Formats: sequence, C-alpha cells, structure tokens
Amino acid sequence: MQCKFVPSVCSYCGTGCGVLFEVIDGKIRSTLPMKTHPVNEGKLCIKGWNLHEHVNSFLRLKQPLVKTFGRFIRSDWEEAIQITAERFREIIEKYGPDAIGVLVSAKITNEENYLAQKFARAVIGTNNVDHCARL
Amino acid sequence: MKTKAMIAEVKRWLENCTVDIFLGYKMVLNHPLPHCFGKENIEEVDDLIIGPARYSLEKIATHIAAAKPDIKIGMMARDCNQRALNVLLIWNQLQPEHVQTVNVNCCPSSLKKHGDCSYLEPQPPGAYKQRVGVDNRLSSQEVERFSPPERLSRWMYEFQKCIKCYGCRNICPVCFCKECSLEHKELIGTGTLPPEAPIFHLIRAIHMAGRCIDCGLCEDACPVDIPLRSLYRKVNEIVATVFDYETGSSPDQSPLNILGETVTLEPKPI
Repeated sequence: MQCKFVPSVCSYCGTGCGVLFEVIDGKIRSTLPMKTHPVNEGKLCIKGWNLHEHVNSFLRLKQPLVKTFGRFIRSDWEEAIQITAERFREIIEKYGPDAIGVLVSAKITNEENYLAQKFARAVIGTNNVDHCARL
Repeated sequence: MKTKAMIAEVKRWLENCTVDIFLGYKMVLNHPLPHCFGKENIEEVDDLIIGPARYSLEKIATHIAAAKPDIKIGMMARDCNQRALNVLLIWNQLQPEHVQTVNVNCCPSSLKKHGDCSYLEPQPPGAYKQRVGVDNRLSSQEVERFSPPERLSRWMYEFQKCIKCYGCRNICPVCFCKECSLEHKELIGTGTLPPEAPIFHLIRAIHMAGRCIDCGLCEDACPVDIPLRSLYRKVNEIVATVFDYETGSSPDQSPLNILGETVTLEPKPI
C-alpha cells in the first residue's frame, strides 16, 4: 500500500494553478487544488479538478505514431525523432528555413518555450515562432 | 495535542502496529501538504506538522480503504475532520476499528475561538456583492431578514456566478456517492453555463441535509464565493429542529437515510 501526494501545476491553460495529485498504489486517484498556492488559493475550475482523468484515460497516447502510407503506425521516440529530423532537412533544403513554423504553447513552461524558440531560430533558422496565447 | 507529543504518539502507533499508515501534514517545497507516513520511513514522522492548511484527510482515508479494506489508518483530526469521520462511519464508508485519530486544534468558529487552520472568517465582500448578493458572513437568520423576493434575487445573483466546477462536491468530505445527482441529465440540463439555477445548488443543498458537517471546505474551494456554508447550515437547521438530529455529532443514522427495508424518517416529538 503506497499513498503519495504529488504537487504539480495544472497543464490545461497558462494560468498555472497549483494542484495536488493523490496517488494510491501508483495510480492518480484524484486531483485537489493546492490550498497554499499563490495562484489559485485552493480553488480550481472543472478542467483542473479532472486532470487525473486524462492521465488515466485509456485513449491517452503513450508512444509516438508515424504516419506511413496514410496510416498511423506505432513507433519509438528514436525512430520518430529521426524521421522528423530527416523531413525537416529535406524541406529546408528544398524550400528554405522559412517554410517551417514553430508553434509554442501557453501550457508549457517558460523554459520549454525558450527552448522551442531557440530551436526555431538556431537550429531551423527561421523567425516563424508563434504562440497560442497571442490570439 | 502539541506537535512534539503528536510525533511521539504517531511513532509509537506505527511501531506497535496500532496503525499501518498515518495521514498528517508535512512541509513540501514550502507548502504544507497532506502526507502519508508509514512504518518504512519512521524517521520521516519528525517532519509531521499540524499545518495551517486544511485538506479532507478523511476523504483520502476512504480512498485508501477502498483500495485496501483491511488497512489500519491513523489520521490527524481537527473538529471538522472528526465530525466528517463520524458521518463517514455512520454511512459505512470506513470501519470504526480501522481508524484512529489524533485530535488537534480546530479552526475559529462561533463554537471555538482558538484555532490555527486556514479557514478563517470569510472576507468582507465588495460593495456590489453587498448590494445585490448574499454576504458570506451572514447567518441564516440574518439572510432571512430580507423580504422573500429580495432574498430570491440575492441568492439567484450568487447562483448565476457558478462556473459548474463541481469543486463543492469534489472537495466535500461527506460526498461519496458513486452516482451524483448533479450529473443527472434528467434533473439538471447539461452543456450550459451557469448551470440551471437554482436547481443545481438546491439539489446539492437537499443532499447535504443530515450529511453536511459545516467544515466550510466547499465555500473555501468555490472560485466565485457562493455562500454555500449559509445554505447548508440552513438545511441542517431544519434537520435539527424537525428530526432532532445533529449532523456530525449524533451517533445514529441520518433520519433521511431511506435505504433498506424500513423508512427511518421520524419527526421529533412535539
């Protein structure tokens, strides 16, 4: 019997509410608002309250899929990243780096957003970086 | 019980197998969070704190008991936890021989002045809410001084702010039903915000009769500050006057429990 409480940040939107996962025997049993978190002060919206449902959902994608001849085929990360990198290289060689755009997200951390724009500018070589919260 | 004495007591309980696990609080990343202490890491019990924040430890205990029915659970209990535990025991959500509590100070209320928990008196509301809504600090007698049409419009103002997060139900230590009426399509229409008012809130209020132990966690979790506590206090005032049943302290089954062969609904003798 193992029962843990794991503090985290809600991944549904950019607000950054503090949540607490109640984990019983390795499975998230429920999500609670963190009472002392400065952002949400013990409150959550319906999405935050149900965070554990998408973690536990049987529909959840747990490994990369590669579209081959119009169908999604299960793959591993190494292969998926390799294929993506090769396709990026082909596109850049044929149409130039501005043929690629990078969309980042309000749901990920500042550091992840920073890395994504760095990837766009330094690796791909484009300024086409945009963000869902700019709408 | 003071923290030091409590730490010693919990260590003793874990060592001599009075309990298998103990639910208390611990500082994690500068936040007082609930924590499950076990025999394997007994030195961890030194970090046990009473904690300024309040979570529903008894609800967590029901989740643990559902996963492992024979486990002996110890928990730290303020007055509200104790009342909730009484209700959960009455409704067979926990086995009395499997739960042990260490009692600690409770939050300030009209019953007890001294306390150190997170639920202080509600904040004074803004000018607009004072004019058109229901002040969270009012007692049900004070709310009843408004004329019926005014009272209705004030409550409707509060209910229409609802974002249907179900936080009041999710955080409630005594909400354990497998199927919840609040999600019943034939009772309350789905897919609209605010939810159908006042039916959404009144269904919950009625279900709180003989269940609500006035811990205030629902109001604390409400993102739009609906004075839920006043609403449920009123419902339980009726249960107390009509059936002579004090929810949380009466040892018997609630008079509104009509499961089984016999109806136990008996009004208080006049």
